[in-house]
Amino acid sequence: MTMNLTRRKFLQAASVAAASVPLSNVVARAETAPGVAQAPLIPLGSFKDTKTVTGGICEMCFWRCQLVGKIKSDRLVKLEGNPKGIDNGPALCARGNAGIKLVYDPDRLKYPMKNVGQRGKPVWKKISWKEALDTCASKLKGTIKKYGAKGIGLWYHGASAHYPVAFFEYLGVPNTYEPAFYQCRGQTAMAMLQTMGFVPNEDVDMANSKAMLLIGSHIGENIHLSHVKNFIKGLQNGSKLVVVDPRFSSSAAKADIWVKIKPATDTAFLLGLMSYMMENGLYNKSFVEKHCHGFDQLKEHVSEWTLDKTAAECDIPVSQIKEVAALLGKNAPNVSIHPGRHASWYGDDYQRVRANACLTGLLGAMDCPGGIVRINRMSTGHVHWPEVEHEEDPEEFALAEMAEKYPFRPPGTPPHLMREAMITGEPYPIKSLVVWGTNPIKTMPQQEETMKAIKNMDFVMVTDVSPTDVTMWADILLPEACYLERYDHIEKGTQWDQSAKPQQFISARMPLIEPMFERKDPVWIINELAKRMGHGGDIPVHNQEEMVDHMLEEAHLSIEKLRELDGIYIQEGESPYLKPGEEPTFDTDSGKIELYSGALEDEEFAPMPVYTRAEEPPKGFARLIYGRSPVHSFNRSANNAWLCHEMPENPVWINDELADKMGLKDGDRVYLENQDGKRSGNSTAVKVTPGIRKDVVYIAHGYGTYNPSMTVSYKQGIDDNALNTKAKIEGETGVGGMRINFVRIVKDNKIINIPA
Amino acid sequence: MQYGMVIDLDKCVGCHACAVACKAEWEVPTQYGRNWLRRLGPSNTPHGLASTYYPGLCNHCDQPSCVEVCPADTVMMEFKDSKTGKTMTMEVAATWKDPFNGTVQVDKKRCLGCGACADACPYGARYVNPDLADDDSDGKVDKCTYCMPRVEAGLEPACVQTCLSHARVFGDLDDPNSEVAKLVQKGATGLTSANVQIGPNSRYIGNKRDMALLNTSAPQEMPEANLRRNMLAHMIKPAMETAKNIGLAGIAGTLLVKSLDDDK
Repeated sequence: MTMNLTRRKFLQAASVAAASVPLSNVVARAETAPGVAQAPLIPLGSFKDTKTVTGGICEMCFWRCQLVGKIKSDRLVKLEGNPKGIDNGPALCARGNAGIKLVYDPDRLKYPMKNVGQRGKPVWKKISWKEALDTCASKLKGTIKKYGAKGIGLWYHGASAHYPVAFFEYLGVPNTYEPAFYQCRGQTAMAMLQTMGFVPNEDVDMANSKAMLLIGSHIGENIHLSHVKNFIKGLQNGSKLVVVDPRFSSSAAKADIWVKIKPATDTAFLLGLMSYMMENGLYNKSFVEKHCHGFDQLKEHVSEWTLDKTAAECDIPVSQIKEVAALLGKNAPNVSIHPGRHASWYGDDYQRVRANACLTGLLGAMDCPGGIVRINRMSTGHVHWPEVEHEEDPEEFALAEMAEKYPFRPPGTPPHLMREAMITGEPYPIKSLVVWGTNPIKTMPQQEETMKAIKNMDFVMVTDVSPTDVTMWADILLPEACYLERYDHIEKGTQWDQSAKPQQFISARMPLIEPMFERKDPVWIINELAKRMGHGGDIPVHNQEEMVDHMLEEAHLSIEKLRELDGIYIQEGESPYLKPGEEPTFDTDSGKIELYSGALEDEEFAPMPVYTRAEEPPKGFARLIYGRSPVHSFNRSANNAWLCHEMPENPVWINDELADKMGLKDGDRVYLENQDGKRSGNSTAVKVTPGIRKDVVYIAHGYGTYNPSMTVSYKQGIDDNALNTKAKIEGETGVGGMRINFVRIVKDNKIINIPA
Repeated sequence: MQYGMVIDLDKCVGCHACAVACKAEWEVPTQYGRNWLRRLGPSNTPHGLASTYYPGLCNHCDQPSCVEVCPADTVMMEFKDSKTGKTMTMEVAATWKDPFNGTVQVDKKRCLGCGACADACPYGARYVNPDLADDDSDGKVDKCTYCMPRVEAGLEPACVQTCLSHARVFGDLDDPNSEVAKLVQKGATGLTSANVQIGPNSRYIGNKRDMALLNTSAPQEMPEANLRRNMLAHMIKPAMETAKNIGLAGIAGTLLVKSLDDDK
């Protein structure tokens, strides 16, 4: 039998990387010689001869769509939306579909490992779980003995971290940092809470709106499935869309009005918009009278923001401000003033979200079709470790409290304070670091500082699914079961379109397949650690199933019952719209929407939203802005072979007229260099377009993996966070701005300045 | 009957779910695609600045340039109308246009992997997978089948099912009551140009600026290889016999037989 090279290469690859061979190869193997896999000519499709397993909940991102898995010979071959679902339904996005490439990614962590090299330059040795856990327990106990529980720092993210976080809090660890708050949604949540008395997340009824306002949100590049459905339905229903963005984003491309705003001037835009609307009666007078606190003060406060001043500051036409004001005013209250999600842009973002919330109040755009809606979700229980007396009260050692800073901070510790303590030992030493499911190399600005802090630890333990960048810095590295192989999260929601028949659902994440190799679920890992640290007697649940059953009890559900229901329990719900004659309530100091906030004033912050002019780019530089790639969840999904194939790198968007002056063409390979001389480690392609302003360049976030163990994504594209050498922390929340760095272009090792 | 697909660019957000779902459904190797999503713009168009997507797939064309160039030995193949049960037999090489449902299909068992059909497609909708080479071929060609095995099992094509905003609609273009036919009546068009007019049945609808930008992706010339391969193919294989009716040929079948005659 003759064999050509490609075939031989294929066979070699197939026998080596058995875990990544498509299913039919595995089936075919039984019929051929051992170790030789013959691919089928005609794949059967995922619907033939497969078993459907229900109960999956996606975690390729954190919108958490409900899934089913198609299983053939114990192997997961396809993921689909759960057809019973009333949220994502049978649909999944690219990442959801690509989940099977995560499960079978040959680069995934397989065994507990010990770093016998250096932090950052690891040499891995496979060890047993016993050795790994014994080491972690003795090191953590040692830290507690020497420095107290405050000597431990925890960086975490995702559903799998909930049980571990509860354990470390039970131990009395006061230092916990979650990027979801401090590099993403923190200010949005806190500013909305302060103004309205609740956190709306992104519960905005776009589907039933008459107009929508997005400040920087790029729905479409940011794919959260039912959120996108909501947005598209709104557009299909004729809602008018206003998008404020320096870039012609995926949303701007569908907009009726694109406000091509100068970056960092969004707050000025909102103040000018409100000023014009208040001056000209373009607001919801009856709502404001009943439900807003501080209208007259706000009107006076924003009066300096005349049309001309606003237009000049934001570099937009006066007519556009009037047009937007008229559109929103005319359609109040049925307008979606989107609160946004990721808000840590310029280091004064709390004020911008406050302005956004005030605008929502002026329009009365809530609890009604099109507005922010308070969705009625069912409730479920929590798993608690017992309350115990600590030698040191963890609250007293909260770093922000000790620094007497950031009174309006989101939950947890501002990461720059923790990092400082790790480096300097002030106000107290943090000497052991536990990282669970997060990759702060890619989230926290000032990477060098982060690395310095980790190097300064006595012990670093990291648990993750994949060998992300931060895993290179671990002493002990623990392999975790992924979201398709474990129980943890309970998803609760309603039908995606609030105008449809009200329904509520509960779905619990259940494994679709067993974990392979020595991967373990977090409840097992933490319980084994707890036993070794002498806390076995306080373990609240013995395994992950018990944890989930316990959480479901409050809703009179169980894993067994949910399985019988194909993974989703659905019951009649309640419309979030107010009934005729019903008045909204607000859990704030004044019982109203606080245009004027006494609490902010008491803490010596501006009681009404203020605009701070951001630093301008130095000559030759432009501001670096970033956003999301529709096929990635930051760096988490970067190593997924299918997703990487869809968008292998993050081209840098440069205005076409600028590119012409700079002699740059579409597809040129370039590096970026920032104001501090920091150059990107990798190059990327230039994307020349008229769809971006001249004072900014743009790349998608999450590229440029540093860990060579991530063989698909290693050195693919530019890591925007590497260029965030400058940080700006805002006083209200302790959250840092990340669009405050400036870059120029490097091509063929020559610096090309960006013309003014 | 002619199956077709219409993609509504007003609803498409460019999420790439279609491309990835297809890979999973049909075990398409990572580096290839039976379908694809290309991000277009932002660019200036005569109707203003636009940014949109080219979610591409096989067009199952009315006059498929890929079919006639296949040099594989022909066989007599029986086709069955899934609706009426009618059958007809046609002489085909390793790729053909189904006389009943209008889809263009491939018999991988007889495919030589020569790539003639892939070269002949102006849309680049076919790929040859050299990893599937065997003693009789250099690989196997693969492309979108409109998910016929799924459709026959009563399911939607995988890309349609996973489309989160219902931007993709699949159905019978010959049925005036179908959603696809209605979208065609509203103006959905295929990607064609002055020199490429082979009747694509995957079509697009959207606002003027997005459609103008999408149309920049329309192929401008029939592939060069088409002529060469075409000649080669016709030299190799015996003249195509007139398709023979064995069962009761439907109107579609008869028309197709006629067009094959004309083609010669």
